[in-house]
Amino acid sequence: MIRKEIQVVNRLGIHARPAGLIVDITGRAKSDVFIEYDGTRANAKSILNIMMLAVTPDSKVTFEISGEDEASVMQQLVQLFNDKFNEE
Amino acid sequence: MTNSTKNKARTELIGVPASPGYALGPVQVIANRTVTINQEKLPKERLANEEQLFLRALNSTVRDITNLKASITERVGVNEARIFDTHLMILKDPTLVDAILGRIKDEGQNARWAVHSRLKELIDEFEKSKSAMMRERAMDLRDLYNRLLAALDDSGPVITGKVKGQGQDEGAILIAHELSPSTLISLKKEEVVGFATDSGGRTSHIAILARSMQIPAVSGLRNISVLAEQGDTIIIDGTGGKVILNPDEADLRRFQEKHSMFLKQKQELFTMRQLEPMTRDGKYVTLHANIELPLEADNVLDFGATGIGLYRSEFLFFRKGTPSCEEQAEAYGYILRAMKPHPVTIRTLDAGGDKLVSDVSVTGEANPFMGWRSIRVCLDRKDLFKEQLKALILAAHEGNLRIMFPMISGIQELRAAKALYRECCDELAAKGVEIPETKIGCMIEVPAAVVMVNDLAKEVDFFSIGTNDLIQFTLAVDRTNELIADMFEPHHPAILNMIDRVVTAAHRQGITVGVCGEMSADPMSSLVLVGLDIDELSMTPWSIMECKKLIRSINYEDARATAKAILKMDDTRSVNRYLSEKYLQTITDLGISSFINSKDVGTSSDTAK
Repeated sequence: MIRKEIQVVNRLGIHARPAGLIVDITGRAKSDVFIEYDGTRANAKSILNIMMLAVTPDSKVTFEISGEDEASVMQQLVQLFNDKFNEE
Repeated sequence: MTNSTKNKARTELIGVPASPGYALGPVQVIANRTVTINQEKLPKERLANEEQLFLRALNSTVRDITNLKASITERVGVNEARIFDTHLMILKDPTLVDAILGRIKDEGQNARWAVHSRLKELIDEFEKSKSAMMRERAMDLRDLYNRLLAALDDSGPVITGKVKGQGQDEGAILIAHELSPSTLISLKKEEVVGFATDSGGRTSHIAILARSMQIPAVSGLRNISVLAEQGDTIIIDGTGGKVILNPDEADLRRFQEKHSMFLKQKQELFTMRQLEPMTRDGKYVTLHANIELPLEADNVLDFGATGIGLYRSEFLFFRKGTPSCEEQAEAYGYILRAMKPHPVTIRTLDAGGDKLVSDVSVTGEANPFMGWRSIRVCLDRKDLFKEQLKALILAAHEGNLRIMFPMISGIQELRAAKALYRECCDELAAKGVEIPETKIGCMIEVPAAVVMVNDLAKEVDFFSIGTNDLIQFTLAVDRTNELIADMFEPHHPAILNMIDRVVTAAHRQGITVGVCGEMSADPMSSLVLVGLDIDELSMTPWSIMECKKLIRSINYEDARATAKAILKMDDTRSVNRYLSEKYLQTITDLGISSFINSKDVGTSSDTAK
């Protein structure tokens, strides 16, 4: 099991599109993936759960991943956040 | 207009301007059937069946949205279609699907009840959210709620009664929560003068169709379908995105002023219609329209098109059950009559890939775009294909028909399709049907067809290049994949040289070659295509006027020289830079820069600095 805190650096926070991009990654993962924000923990394979967190810009979320591909999944998520969800 | 609205309160609502123009008329509410949920628990033995019902409804909803997405992607753009990815993802979300299945399995709820109870909870939660962005998304959940419940209902949407107004002849204004493509297909144009819907934005299906039918529309009005009642009078301001229910005298005066001003401006624009799409040095470029619905044919001549370059016949098949030969012949005949004597190119069924047809398509292919689709389906399902070919032959005498086979990857497929066509001709001739002379062509959209284009040219009357698929297959880029979307490059040297190769082969055989992909509606690309000697550009109707303006402002000889120069270049960046230098000023001066996509603007400003 690995945990990591990631900074949300894009302009609009985790709205529908970024949530979809996260699920693109987590949905394919063999591991269980959870996302924590503001004291709430949610299944990161569910776009609805992620959207319901209403993560604002300039905040931090924590991912908890456990399973055989946990390292690579975490690395992809970190990359996605660093790339600001490919927003222009 | 009689004033049947004396006692009703005036209500003004702001929405999204979906299609410009002004209209005044009686309200026609499209049965937004009140959702009645039967909350009686089901006996155990029926639960498995109920689960199946739900899963089937889920699949058909996924299929509808996938088709809608394909249509929006093709007609508006990849970015506008992205919202549907969210919808599709939500429909796969365990938080939704497993919860609904659980309520059926464990609590004995019927499928409609389970969908209703779970989605209502989610909608409430989204609506209560602190984030405005989240609250907006509640709209998407409501869309899915309506779609799922409609899919669980067999009867489908119905228009209640005919629009007769109060003894008037004028058309009505259709009001609905949402207008589905299947409802629109059944509309008669003279009965409708405007649309207003609760849901949808500028890029919803209704907006696209309304714009091409030149009918004013306002969408995103949230609760108009609840407020408006049959027989109310309503003003639609599709330019400003506003509706006024039960207008007062002052409203009616303002409406008349704005309406006549709008018509005058439109008139000015439409004088362009008379002008030929001819370059300054006298080269004529044929401009055709792409359409999806037969009734769109009523308006394409007004947009200045001189034919239909692509009628996507698969839209007739987006429904339950395949359309009969007679139904198809009627639809094809309608278009041919509307366009006569101009040519109408009807593409035979192009199902599969991202366009799923209920009784035909298979789902779950690993590679749907390279799967069982298009002409491949038709050559396997000869029963279906022959019905369509016969319908085309029967309709052919109504106008100037051209039949086009999609996804041809080699001469064998082409010959097989043509053989079936001849077989149908013979069968009908034996029954005494007169067989008119009809041109047969094929799409060039598979790279293999480009390589073998000299052979194909000998066996058809025309080519039409489908740039979307050709680019996707040649560059091995799935443009709906965001990670590589910027690699989808129409000006890639490989693409330009392929188009050049097709044109050369076609002209050597004395046949015409058109382009019917998105590429022809991009101003910069359309000039490239003119320079590459493409004979026909086919595009969405509302791009035609602008394209004509552009063509009339350039010299064909210059466009030729520019095309020759870029054909020698070995990288996309140089091509785009060169094109910007050549054309950007012209395009901007004509005031049509809005048609340039953001990527082109980026490239050009790089060069400018």
